[in-house]
Amino acid sequence: MISPSQHRWADVIHRLEAGGSMLPDSPNNLKQIIGIYKAYAVPMDFYWRDLLYIAEQVFLNPLPAFKYLLPQEYLDRPNSYAGPAGSPRIWRGEASAHPELLAFMAKGEMGAMPRLLHHLWHDRINMEFAEACMQAMFWHQGMGGRFNDYLDSEPYRANADRAIKAYFRRNPLMLGLYKLWPEMMLEKVKQLSYYANLGLFWEVMAPVFFEMSDLYDEGKLTSVPEAMDFLVNGIFAIAGRPIYHNVMIEGECFEIVPKSEGFTWLYEAALPYVEAVFYRTSPFRGTKSYNAQANQVPDQQADFHYGILYADLFPVGSAGIPPTLLMQDMVHFLPPYLKEDYSQHGRGESDVLIQLGVSFQRSMYNVTSAVIQALRAALLYPLDDTNPDHLKANRQFFEAQMDRFLRPEARLGEIQTAHYR
Amino acid sequence: MMTVLLLLIPGAAALLALVLPLLPARPGLIRSVAAVAPAIQLMAALLCWRHLPADLHLDWVPKLGLAVDLGLDGLSLPLVLLAALISGMAILSASADQPRSRLFFSLLLATNLGAIGAFMARNALLFVLAFELVLIPTTLLVAIWGGERRAGAAIRFLLYGAASGLSLLAAVLALGWFNANGLDFSYEALAHAELSPAQSRWILALLLLGFGLKLPIAPLHGWQPLTYAEAPIPVVMVLSGVVSKLGAYGLLRFGVGMLGDSWLAWSPWIAAAGALSAIYGALNAIAQTDIRRLMAYSSLGHMGLLVLALAAATPMGLQGAMAQILAHGLIVALLFGCVGLIERKTGTSSIAELSGLMNPLRGLPFTSGMLLLALMAAAGIPGLVGFPAELLVFEGSWQAFPLPTLVCLVASGLTAVYAVRLYNRVGFGRLDNARAHWPTTHWGERVPLLLLTALVVVAGLWPTAITGWSEPTTAAMALRAPLSASSVISQTVLPS
Amino acid sequence: MATILETAADAGCFGTLLAAVDAAGLRNALEGTGPFTVLAPVDAAFAALPPSTVQTLVDNPPQLARILKYHVVSGARLQEELIRQPAWDSLEGAPIPIRCHEPFEVKNATVINANIVCDNGVVHVIDRVLLPG
Repeated sequence: MISPSQHRWADVIHRLEAGGSMLPDSPNNLKQIIGIYKAYAVPMDFYWRDLLYIAEQVFLNPLPAFKYLLPQEYLDRPNSYAGPAGSPRIWRGEASAHPELLAFMAKGEMGAMPRLLHHLWHDRINMEFAEACMQAMFWHQGMGGRFNDYLDSEPYRANADRAIKAYFRRNPLMLGLYKLWPEMMLEKVKQLSYYANLGLFWEVMAPVFFEMSDLYDEGKLTSVPEAMDFLVNGIFAIAGRPIYHNVMIEGECFEIVPKSEGFTWLYEAALPYVEAVFYRTSPFRGTKSYNAQANQVPDQQADFHYGILYADLFPVGSAGIPPTLLMQDMVHFLPPYLKEDYSQHGRGESDVLIQLGVSFQRSMYNVTSAVIQALRAALLYPLDDTNPDHLKANRQFFEAQMDRFLRPEARLGEIQTAHYR
Repeated sequence: MMTVLLLLIPGAAALLALVLPLLPARPGLIRSVAAVAPAIQLMAALLCWRHLPADLHLDWVPKLGLAVDLGLDGLSLPLVLLAALISGMAILSASADQPRSRLFFSLLLATNLGAIGAFMARNALLFVLAFELVLIPTTLLVAIWGGERRAGAAIRFLLYGAASGLSLLAAVLALGWFNANGLDFSYEALAHAELSPAQSRWILALLLLGFGLKLPIAPLHGWQPLTYAEAPIPVVMVLSGVVSKLGAYGLLRFGVGMLGDSWLAWSPWIAAAGALSAIYGALNAIAQTDIRRLMAYSSLGHMGLLVLALAAATPMGLQGAMAQILAHGLIVALLFGCVGLIERKTGTSSIAELSGLMNPLRGLPFTSGMLLLALMAAAGIPGLVGFPAELLVFEGSWQAFPLPTLVCLVASGLTAVYAVRLYNRVGFGRLDNARAHWPTTHWGERVPLLLLTALVVVAGLWPTAITGWSEPTTAAMALRAPLSASSVISQTVLPS
Repeated sequence: MATILETAADAGCFGTLLAAVDAAGLRNALEGTGPFTVLAPVDAAFAALPPSTVQTLVDNPPQLARILKYHVVSGARLQEELIRQPAWDSLEGAPIPIRCHEPFEVKNATVINANIVCDNGVVHVIDRVLLPG
């Protein structure tokens, strides 16, 4: 219908136009990405619960030393999209915290000991990773959606003001600080709104990934494009989920970002998340240091390219999210088939963190493919459209997306090969 | 008889490994068998340290003054120990699947045999014979197992080596023939040789040429960077750690020990050559793009310090020279051992192609850690063996040659520059995703590095370990009096 | 003449749209004087979406209202007027691009039936639900 693309990633573009993913379809790729979705979903089940706990309960606690010690209430909190009451029920499993997560929280690597010791010894889920993602969203801002604009609006300031005054009503010192520097507290509340935003986003993704893992185990998910399509359908199914921020202060609920503002999961959470975390984030201080004066860091935030799609997975790091923390979280929950796969490659046990990081990169290219296909479906035309102008518009869209992977740091080329591990 | 054992065992082992088809052609096994020989040498030499054995004297060709005259003194014992140790480490550093292993290891052992023979010789002709013997196996080792440019490297190595051997032979023959006390090449006789000043200076010139080529010292170093870049790593370890020390030992034994007056007369020039070598080596090392070549120039620089100390010929200077010989032997073997492992895993020693080797998961953290330590030792960081050696050198030479000593101090400072530059590129930075698929090092490969590292640290903390053996001997050989308060006063206050 | 919603009800192919307008609580607004230009997706357009998409939206009226408002432009604008501008701001806030005039398309939807004039505005019937972005 239209002539082949001349883009450097023409192969990938043609595959996308045929309904495929950026990740080539192969049994091993499927095994890697599904296995890692499962290993990612378990810590994610902790992340979203704790993010909401911090946003709703810890709130402005000036000494939030225990914010990663999740109360039972939040471990039991039913996921809106799992369990019998899920609407829609994405995962057929239970709505409370995942059993593997609970088992890990009880024992960790060190065996049974008080929770505080697990925490201090870092033998726990690394919430720092989740917070780094949140900070990336908070810092980059302006990535589509209305959420960030709302945080600068008068209604938001009024809502936040009520909540701050209520929270500190018995704390004259903090109230005095708030009087002196109101913007400081407000900025903290904005950040907490992003905690809620990301928590609500991941509350959806965890059951999606669990369900994919179950389908794969049952033999019902047999190719990479099928895995991508499942994600596309998931994105559309949940697109209208409200994004909001409630704070519970002494049993009273303060709506800081009310549901009635009409913020949706797709526009105010998912798309900014993908942009901030998959593409941009910020330079991570590993042993590789950057010199901003020598233009080693882009002067435009939009040009930042430290996300997982560009990440150098070696722990010396150049990826904006601290990838090692996530790898460390995922390694506890690898399915057996993936452990076996890793033991047969590279340095086996001793570099399993890097191997699973590469799998994670592959799986996130697949998620990004799903987002690209979903955007194409929402904003443009079906892949089997008969109008050449429509196909050209689709082509233009795909090429524009692939332009972001022209920079040398992009791992799109590597994930096309099987030996990148 | 112990001395004979020291010599004979590796020789026999070399022959066994090469000739006997009893041994299955498994390179790993041949390597282990070859490693036994230096291990026995090492233990025997340690025993000798407690009780210096009597000399062994057998006439060979009495008419020519050639005798098998072997013995150990405070000068030769540490060098025998060093030679045994470095040979052993070099053998262990060879790959477990070394191609043509029988020949390879027997040639390494032949080199070891020659070097130890030279160190133990008490007869100048025997020394020359052993000295020449080293050249043949090392040339073959470079020519057969070298890198892409091995042919050129081997030819250049052979030509420089032959020139060195010839001038040395000429010097020794002249020393014997012109000796008014009769034809006798034993060290005792030559030490008291009666020569006219002109004869003495000509002989010293020949010796300086012969040993200067072996060390090497600028501008006689033409063979060194190429050979170090092309030769297999175990061979480089032996060349830099043992064979080049033959030159240092020769200068000390013959130059300082037998031609003291001429040595003193020319010592300003010798010191200048040392200083030039030090600064030239260090500056070149900064500019290198290949680790092996960098280390070749680094060696050149360190040999410069050694020559400076020899030129000063004060008790402390000579002690510093011995310390520098041993320290540099250990450090350079460790450096090349690390480079060898890096090269074996990554396939390159190019500084531009390597980075991020410190990476804990996919890099070579152990090897690059040892490399860092070796570089620190080479730069003279206190606590490692390079520091006491350089301190002795500088304290020993300052009195006699302040200006060259200052130049050498600057060169020593530059050591840190190229060490940091090298490590910053190779150890730090970002590991290349596309390259980093090599396996990790295993313990068998790490053993030689660990042993050398342990010695570098122990001798750094306890310098007497490397200076104690030779102190009485070097003190007796000193040509200049030690610096004392009265001599300073007499020089400055009472010029006479 | 009839209002926009009456016209839609009479047409018989906008059942989902009308139910959605009720669920989002927009009926009163659309019965006002306006005038509005409504881009009305037919039932088949809603049916083409994954089933849970509509369900999630119906469960959350503010979010549903936002999507619906993206189908409304203020003022009564016929096709001739719409094609004069590359994009029109919707009541939701995001612009609706007009990329193709022949056949007449709004964003990625094709206009099946244009210029249905009502009391309080104009209706253009489209074959796809529009999504902002």
